[in-house]
Amino acid sequence: MGMSVALDGDARQAAAARIAEEQGLVRNAQAGDRLAFEELVHRYDREVLRLALNLVHRSEDARDIYQESFMRVYKNLHRFRFECSFYTWLYRIVTNVSLDHLRRRTSRREDQAPVPDEAEGGTRDFFDRQPEVRAAANPERSLLGQELGQHISAALKRLSPRERMVFEMKHYQGLKLRAIGDMLGTSEETVKNSLFRATRKLRASLDCMR
Amino acid sequence: MRQEDNNKDILNSAACEEFDSRLMLLAAGELTPDEEADVADHLKHCARCVEALERERELVECFAASRIEPDAALLASCRSGLEDALDRQEERSWLRRITNVFLPAGGLAPRPAWSAALLVLVGFSVGILGPRFLQRPAAVSGDSDSAVSSDTTGSSNFAPQFPNSGSAPIIDMHSAQVAGISVMPSGGGQPPQVELQMRAQQPFRVQGTVNNDNVKSVLMNILRNNDRFDPDVRLDAVDLLRAKNDDPEVRDVLCHAVHTDPNAAVRLKALEALNGAEPQDLVRKTLLDALVDDRNPGVRVEAINALRNMAAQGKVVSDDHMIAVLRDRMQKDPNTYIRLQSAAAIRDLGPREKF
Repeated sequence: MGMSVALDGDARQAAAARIAEEQGLVRNAQAGDRLAFEELVHRYDREVLRLALNLVHRSEDARDIYQESFMRVYKNLHRFRFECSFYTWLYRIVTNVSLDHLRRRTSRREDQAPVPDEAEGGTRDFFDRQPEVRAAANPERSLLGQELGQHISAALKRLSPRERMVFEMKHYQGLKLRAIGDMLGTSEETVKNSLFRATRKLRASLDCMR
Repeated sequence: MRQEDNNKDILNSAACEEFDSRLMLLAAGELTPDEEADVADHLKHCARCVEALERERELVECFAASRIEPDAALLASCRSGLEDALDRQEERSWLRRITNVFLPAGGLAPRPAWSAALLVLVGFSVGILGPRFLQRPAAVSGDSDSAVSSDTTGSSNFAPQFPNSGSAPIIDMHSAQVAGISVMPSGGGQPPQVELQMRAQQPFRVQGTVNNDNVKSVLMNILRNNDRFDPDVRLDAVDLLRAKNDDPEVRDVLCHAVHTDPNAAVRLKALEALNGAEPQDLVRKTLLDALVDDRNPGVRVEAINALRNMAAQGKVVSDDHMIAVLRDRMQKDPNTYIRLQSAAAIRDLGPREKF
């Protein structure tokens, strides 16, 4: 028991030190220290790119979202007032940029355009990758998985940008609903409803397949 | 009995609707312990919800398994693109600050009378002083290896760019732009012939090899004033000056390009041009500076490669500063290749640590 309390205390101290160190980095970056800014970028950019890539499924589009997001962070860093964590603030910007991108794409109906092959520099739909992993274990299941993946992929494209964002942040970023609400500037209840609607649509699509 | 079963089914069905959203949240790991206990109680009596929960979990597993991880190449290219965009943004901010210092538009905007007075003063100054500057004669050289010719017969211009004065036409390197560079290869290992078409108030042309002072001077001027000339012109200038990298002036200007040119390709080419130049100390210092300071990973890669190359040929002598720089890069450079190469360079050059 005593040991557990000590460990909790150590973890809390480590977390506090990490937060203080990050705040120091943000302050340096706000003062114009480019290296501090790059250090912040390198802490979170893999997660930002993952979110973008899973949302848009094309490396070119994901790169655009990545660059636009971090440039907005750079230009607006002086407005950050430490009222939330830097991570949350960054994700607010990333989700806004991504939602704009998804809305533009929905209005242009770009989702209907053929997705370029990986060999041509594009990224295949992520559900296409699924059977490759499982093929060795069970070819029959692999085929089913591929079919399932295609249905889910099609259903994902029918979600509204916000539903899709909530879904991706929950299932691909592993974020809690409360954190997603903070990042999207909405309540946990609204996020819960969006996730529920998204899952129901996906489930309906899968039921059609059966 | 059958009636009892039917009633139980109806009751369960109503409860199941209530639990529908909770099952989704349970599968997503979003329920509190109390809520989980409620759902667990319900699941003990409801096979339908157990099955639904199983389906929810399968779906979540399917999503989790199909997550795309960005590969290292994509991440590296995003980082590189961002660095370039930040460089451009910083340049713009710098220019804006300078502009604001000289043209404090915000301060003058609410004072139209002051703005008008300032405009009159500037106009008056330009009217009085401008012609005096323009009427100052300048000189241009002519030697056996080159020719500088004016395309017009104007008599006024400014810029003592070429020291050997004569009766040649007048040129103005301070405002001249390169309209075109033609490079014609020479045989027998000689440097190529260059023809530079310069656009100025009075256009002119410079011809010759890089061994000629005028040609060299114009090319060096291009690299020194990297904000006035296009990157492709600067790239040509580096390429041509490479043949004279043993000339101290040329070496200085190539080092200047490595340190200050805004274009990564020009910096890269200048690094290549310096490779093999004497004395090695200056080249080594420039390579180390580029390794530490350059934002572009491609330039840093070229710098560490050149350093390792020189080390392999025994052309570089290590000292504490160099080992300290390499150790710093080995630990801090964001690029994996550079970290590995720095470690290898320390292994090749550095003293063995005793444990």
